[in-house]
Amino acid sequence: MTGLAWKEWPLVGFTVLSQTAVGAFWMIAGASFFLEGASGWNSRYLTFPFLAAVVVVFGLAAAVSLFHLGRPWRAVFALNNLKRSWLSREILFELIFMALAASLALLVLKKAYRPTLVRMLVALAFTASVLFMISMAKLYMMRTVPTWRGVYTPLSFLGTALLLGSLGAALSYDVFLDLGRKVRPFLDAAAIVALAAVVLIILSLFLFAPGLGLFGTKKTTLLELPVVKMYPYLLSRLIFLSGTVLCFFLYYRNPGAPFLTLAFLSALAAEVAGRSLFYAVYSRLGV
Amino acid sequence: MLQSGGSQSSWVRQYAFYFDSSSCSGCKACQVACKDKHDLPVNVLWRRVYEVAGGSWTKSGNIWVPGVFSYYVSMACHQCAKPICGDGCPTKAIYKRQDGIVLLDTEACIGCRLCEWACPYGALQFDEATRLMTKCHFCFDYIDAGKPPACVAACPMRALDFGELADLRKKYGTTSQVFPLPEAALTEPALVIKPHRDAPRATKDTAEVANWEEI
Repeated sequence: MTGLAWKEWPLVGFTVLSQTAVGAFWMIAGASFFLEGASGWNSRYLTFPFLAAVVVVFGLAAAVSLFHLGRPWRAVFALNNLKRSWLSREILFELIFMALAASLALLVLKKAYRPTLVRMLVALAFTASVLFMISMAKLYMMRTVPTWRGVYTPLSFLGTALLLGSLGAALSYDVFLDLGRKVRPFLDAAAIVALAAVVLIILSLFLFAPGLGLFGTKKTTLLELPVVKMYPYLLSRLIFLSGTVLCFFLYYRNPGAPFLTLAFLSALAAEVAGRSLFYAVYSRLGV
Repeated sequence: MLQSGGSQSSWVRQYAFYFDSSSCSGCKACQVACKDKHDLPVNVLWRRVYEVAGGSWTKSGNIWVPGVFSYYVSMACHQCAKPICGDGCPTKAIYKRQDGIVLLDTEACIGCRLCEWACPYGALQFDEATRLMTKCHFCFDYIDAGKPPACVAACPMRALDFGELADLRKKYGTTSQVFPLPEAALTEPALVIKPHRDAPRATKDTAEVANWEEI
């Protein structure tokens, strides 16, 4: 089943990119609600370029996912089974999140809004993004696929969102928007989230990864991938994660674009390797 | 390839297959009849014959005693009572007819392949040419015309039969799971099996499917 890792490149692209956009939005939503401001609200972080980037990356993820479909032009039919299908629900929340994030971006651009409205939209978009992530995890956690059934699936998605989201947000604010000094508390928060995400990813890998983790599913199906074939993915993921941490520390010693960009790219490579492994270990009960 | 509509027998509540593993010679006439009738492309097999092999030789004094075994399992879509393929389908393209046959509406299918991931019998298969899912539909056109499914008609050993699930259970018993099939409770397949005499010895650790390349 190793072929699945490469065959599913549209899904690797879709999941990693959409989780990056969602994670970056979480950072901004969190910063807006919790970083400074006695009123409990700070709109400094809600900038048009950042929100537009979230919408573009999320839209790109949606576009890439169409390559997975046999008949992409029928994609709209995928909303037909909201009652029973987690895939239908995932697509619904994907559309809602994108619409809310785009509305926020436009409101911020026009600067013609009431803070209450923006706060409400941020809260709604955050809720939609959480429901999107839950639906995405649930659709893989099928009762006939033990290698995806466990807690590793949601932890892996959460790890990607937190790692790439925090680094992506930090990169946007510090490098592209050149707001480094003004948003220092935000960058510190992003550093904490990114390091926590690395710990979460490594712990979930060694504890719950199918075939590899201490508590992960052991051989339960006939089609399972031999552990030895997982090592290249595992090794490359660990190397890239180490690279991310190293670059992030170097960035803190020498603030600027190069090390932060390298940290993000290294994290992206780690998560692409990790997600490829996720699809490679697909194995169902029966035949 | 559209699998929809058609008249149907009003008295049948759940059509089912019967498979006699003790009689099957592994000739694959069922597989070929199915492929021929539906003009299936390469890499699509709605009915597949699994060759199970297991056991080993044991030494007793100076003599090696053979304890090896093999048998065949002919499988198609089992028109499950709880079709997990349809549960996940985002377009409702997979549905059950009144007589229990699980059909796939190719006009609604988007080819997302979620059903292929979910089905523990490998019944849902992707056609690379049409970019759509395909599955065994119990030859519903033959059924509606009062004829048996092509695979059943082709079996020279009479190892396959079909009919109302309740009748088949009355006639042949209630076994619906042998190695390498999954637990029947997962999807409740409309299937009755007469196991081969060596089937109780076959488990994930003692036996294997010996012809993955063919299926």
